[in-house]
Amino acid sequence: MNLPSATACKNNQPTTTAPRLSLACLGVCCLLPILAGCGQTPAATFRPNMVESAKQRLQPEQEQQVATILEAMFGTPDNPVVLPETGLDIAKLRLAAGPVHSDIVGRKNGLFREHCSHCHGVTGDGMGPTAAFLNPYPRDYRPGWFKFKSTERADKPTHADLVTILNNGIYGTSMPSFELLGETKVDALVEYVKYLSMRGEAELSLMRYYFELDDEDEGKLPETRDFLIEEILLPVAERWQEAEDAVIEVPEMPEVDLTESIAMGKELFYGNKANCVKCHGVTALGDGQANDYDDWNKVVKQWSAELQSAHETSTSDMTSEERSEHRAWLAKSDRVLAGDALDPRTIQPRNLRQAIYRGGRRPLDLYYRIHAGINGAPMPAAAGTLSPDEIWHIVNYIRSLPYEFDGELGADRSMVARDRL
Amino acid sequence: MRNRLAGLFWSLLFLAVPVLGVAVFAVAPSIDVWLPKDVSAHGKEIDSLFYFILALTGVVFIVTEMLLFWFIWKYDVAARGEEKATYIHGSHTLEVIWTIIPAVVMLFLAIYQMNAWADVKMRRPVMKPTVEVVARQFEWRLRYPGPDEELGTPDDLFLVNDLHVPVDEDVLVQLKSMDVLHSFFLPNLRIKQDAVPGMKIPVWFKATETGQYDLVCAELCGWGHYKMKGRITIESREDFDAWLEQKYREQEATQPNPQEDML
Ligand SMILES: [Cu+2]
Repeated sequence: MNLPSATACKNNQPTTTAPRLSLACLGVCCLLPILAGCGQTPAATFRPNMVESAKQRLQPEQEQQVATILEAMFGTPDNPVVLPETGLDIAKLRLAAGPVHSDIVGRKNGLFREHCSHCHGVTGDGMGPTAAFLNPYPRDYRPGWFKFKSTERADKPTHADLVTILNNGIYGTSMPSFELLGETKVDALVEYVKYLSMRGEAELSLMRYYFELDDEDEGKLPETRDFLIEEILLPVAERWQEAEDAVIEVPEMPEVDLTESIAMGKELFYGNKANCVKCHGVTALGDGQANDYDDWNKVVKQWSAELQSAHETSTSDMTSEERSEHRAWLAKSDRVLAGDALDPRTIQPRNLRQAIYRGGRRPLDLYYRIHAGINGAPMPAAAGTLSPDEIWHIVNYIRSLPYEFDGELGADRSMVARDRL
Repeated sequence: MRNRLAGLFWSLLFLAVPVLGVAVFAVAPSIDVWLPKDVSAHGKEIDSLFYFILALTGVVFIVTEMLLFWFIWKYDVAARGEEKATYIHGSHTLEVIWTIIPAVVMLFLAIYQMNAWADVKMRRPVMKPTVEVVARQFEWRLRYPGPDEELGTPDDLFLVNDLHVPVDEDVLVQLKSMDVLHSFFLPNLRIKQDAVPGMKIPVWFKATETGQYDLVCAELCGWGHYKMKGRITIESREDFDAWLEQKYREQEATQPNPQEDML
């Protein structure tokens, strides 16, 4: 940009006025990029789910078709579009979408990119620029799995559940609180998270659909409205809408003396029926089973294992055409694994003595956690095995753990372990 | 032969520095980029120290800048012809003067501000912490000790970013950091204290007016530093107690929407 004036500078004959002229040139050189403006950044785009694409062995033209369909259904990061079937509110989405800017009435737009995208990514794939530095990794919304909610394990969270997460943050992870943004903004952001999640699920569903095509389709998805709405969008959107009325019924806490309840909870914790001890450890410090992965990491982990064995498979019985296709797929997959996925990490069972509860510390939250388990994590639902009363006993025991020292660590110093540092 | 214009240009450029410098300070309060409203008991002392030092350095600044301008103007070679400058080895007397005057000023300031420093950093009120503030990337985790006034017991109240304190009472904050250096900054209470991992640092103040003000991080602590903004609400003792109780009830909820149950 500033090249012409720089050469103009050099071409000047050294005269008495040279120092001042070069000073002026320097000024112009510095100003030029500012005058040219910063409006040259390319428009933001959604990143395709390359892991799934490689897994499903999509051809480039099929990837292109998926992108075209998705853009028709959901628009672009700067210009979201929603069909009425999603139940999403476009006014809220507009507040959250797009680049950070103020609209004509001075209202701040582009909230998602201001507050969320550097971790969660513009696409909501959990791969923003800062993602790789965080442990645990930021949430990838695309599979549509959410951990902390008031619904059954396999169900979607309610709108209110996501609002709670944004308001409280997730203590113990890198997710901070956004409560002070105010209700309207938090509400808009939640709507946008749902939008990105629906889009991600629709993408997965489209990519997997190529599998079910027969020869007549010639490797192309039907692009009729009926197919796209009935087969792709509705199955996703309906599950989000159903969640609103599917909040778990929580029976009242049994009227037992608290010490007694804690004792019963402790028995269950170490017993075979609840078997909390398996992962959370005999000390409840989260030092039980430590070699498991959550579902997001499992996807990458399992796929890289498959890829490894594909690399080792002999290609001798392939035709030369098959072989070159296989090689191209392997090369693409390796590229995707290196550039479009984060290195899988094991999941840590929660240390229950820190008084840090990611999904909320209310007895109610802990009840939900035990009743429904944690979607996407190894924590199973206890609803089938434990009665509500038993769950409440465990809740009471868990809540006593940060303060349980029995005098062994100093009788008069009831403290959280962290405090002794 | 050098041009007289060059000398004019440089001397006026140097004159512009004190003129613009003073103008910026003169205009600042009226466009609201001045000290934020003070609502603390100790703030007046700090502010008057600030104004005193500003006046002192202001005078030195103006005199120095004017001298620079004057020398460039007066001794411009274009105006004075080929007259040679004289070489002097230095002036012992001058050096002693310009060493002793600042030293005396510094010493005076060091003694003069002692009381303000002691108020904020040494005369800690004898009391248990009102609240524990744990800074972490990128938020303020708060813990109130609950009715037993002890931190680390089951009746603790856990909150985030939304700090409340009673008005007209000593408030003792126990400041910690979970990860890196942060700085607990309450501009309206004239409080700024680094939070250091591994240390429990006491911070105290007395608010004199009710209202809501900013709580920000004043130490670049990572890429999300800009997010690290909380809020302090200063309210009457009754409101503060009622708020604590309300928040505690919410924290102990065993059913969704306890507010609805209460109606
Ligand atoms: Cu900070």
